[in-house]
Amino acid sequence: MSQRRNRLAAAPLIAVLGLVAFAGPAGASGESVGGCMAEHLAEAVEENHGDLQETLHDEEVQKDLEKCFEAPNPILPETNEIIWGALSFGLLFFFMAKKGFPAVKGAMDARAERIASDLDAAEQAKIDARAVEADYQARLGDAKGEASRLIDEARGAADQLKADLSARAEADIADMRERAAADIESARQQAIADLRAEVAGIALGAAERVVQSSLDAEVQGRLIDAYIDEVAGSNG
Amino acid sequence: MADPRVDAYADALFAVAAAEGNLTAVEDELFQFAQALGSNDDLRATLADGAVPAARRQQVVEDLLDGKASATTAALVSMVVAAGRAADLPAIVAAVVELGAASRNRAVATVRSAIDLSADQRSRLEAAIHTSTGREVEVKVVIDPSVLGGVVTEIGDDIIDGSVRRRLNQLRESFR
Repeated sequence: MSQRRNRLAAAPLIAVLGLVAFAGPAGASGESVGGCMAEHLAEAVEENHGDLQETLHDEEVQKDLEKCFEAPNPILPETNEIIWGALSFGLLFFFMAKKGFPAVKGAMDARAERIASDLDAAEQAKIDARAVEADYQARLGDAKGEASRLIDEARGAADQLKADLSARAEADIADMRERAAADIESARQQAIADLRAEVAGIALGAAERVVQSSLDAEVQGRLIDAYIDEVAGSNG
Repeated sequence: MADPRVDAYADALFAVAAAEGNLTAVEDELFQFAQALGSNDDLRATLADGAVPAARRQQVVEDLLDGKASATTAALVSMVVAAGRAADLPAIVAAVVELGAASRNRAVATVRSAIDLSADQRSRLEAAIHTSTGREVEVKVVIDPSVLGGVVTEIGDDIIDGSVRRRLNQLRESFR
């Protein structure tokens, strides 16, 4: 992996060095203005036998020198540039076709494969997550249902308990009320009976004292005689 | 259920009194003494107290009956008290009276009254009871002030209540 990455980095570096090493300067064969003027001027001086002044005033020479100021073709590069560029391009293309492209393609394939693998893993993880989520949702649903059922049961039990307690309390209250009423009635009857007995006791005590004071010997004798007569008059 | 010892003592006293020939008088005296004993708590407690020497208890009996009862009656009562059976004396006397009446083919009618009955009243009451129940009885009078007035007669389990107390009780019941 590391080796492949090094080869990928080395390919463009070698291409740049090739361009620098083999590329020639633009206008290297007299294409510069100075060079062009110097070349035409030297040729003209030589034709005029070394007379510089005459050469400089020669109209033909001036026209040639003025040609040096004309701009090169803006579209078509210089021939040597074409040659060097083509060679460099071919060299770079060859190098890239042989070394760079397979490395890049292998790296891209590996990356694509890894990405695909990662996508598959992610898809599987997604599927697993969805299954887990579905299971969780199912469990959650079951738990909710169970919780709801338990709550309903608890609520029902509480309602039943409440109803039972209420009924029992009402029954107890009714029983207590009934017993209280019975106790009150019993106490009332007892009080009446006690009062009646008390009154009777007082009245009978007074009557007994009156009877005792009135029962002298004569009266006692008459009572005994009357008793004897009563016994004699009864049969069985 | 009768106590065998009470019956044994009663048989003994009845036999002695019959042997002495004064059964009726001894019966009456024993009956009167038993009534006195029943109505006097202190006397009953003293004669029934085992801590009091027997001689002392016999002396009490002799002092009480001296000149008021026959020697036979005094001796019999003294014997029972000395034997430590003073508490059973009323039951023993009642059994003796029953035995005496039975020996004369009669039943005992215990009559409770606030005052004593005259001889005429006793005989008329015996006749009245005979008329009413068809039974020959001997009347034994018990002086009971709680009767207030009138008479209550008990013959065995039968009671003929003509007392003022009963009428007052009936009046008390009517108030309830």
